[in-house]
Amino acid sequence: MGVEVLAISTDSRFTHKVWQEQELTKMVPNGVPYPMLSDGGGRVGTIYGVYDEDAGVDIRGRFLIDPDFVIRAMEVLTPEVGRNVQELIRQVKAFQHVRETGEVTPSGWQPGKPTLTPGPELVGKVWEIWKPEMAF
Amino acid sequence: MLARVGKPAPDFELSAYLDGGFKNIRLSTYKGKWIIVCFYPGDFTFV
Repeated sequence: MGVEVLAISTDSRFTHKVWQEQELTKMVPNGVPYPMLSDGGGRVGTIYGVYDEDAGVDIRGRFLIDPDFVIRAMEVLTPEVGRNVQELIRQVKAFQHVRETGEVTPSGWQPGKPTLTPGPELVGKVWEIWKPEMAF
Repeated sequence: MLARVGKPAPDFELSAYLDGGFKNIRLSTYKGKWIIVCFYPGDFTFV
């Protein structure tokens, strides 16, 4: 897929170092391979709409940015619930497919499933290609 | 400028920890690639 990952929290770079060395290396061999950025004060989190001023932290938000530097997708959760990485990967593959082909991907699309080609001949004919059970 | 889908990503530069060292990272240096930016509530938290 060829995606660059950046992780950001309000922790200092020194805390990132200790977390990587003390815990993450026990989860992932050699630790996580992506940079861990320090957003002390939440200046960047504020711009991205994820900074919780009361708690003083950037809550769980992720943003998918395309090669033209346009944000294609975002998801923001309060901290108690973790992400669904499979859904993020699906979105990356879907946006990459759209960019490469000009086709669009209906609800529930996975690689290999039918896509739609927008145009006048498709108007009123989506029902022939896409069924509600394909959303699941 | 606030982050919105369909709009350019707001650029930023932050200090970072990577490969055992410290460096500054600017988002726009990744322009031309697919990028995932993940915010999370804190190191050593549970989820």
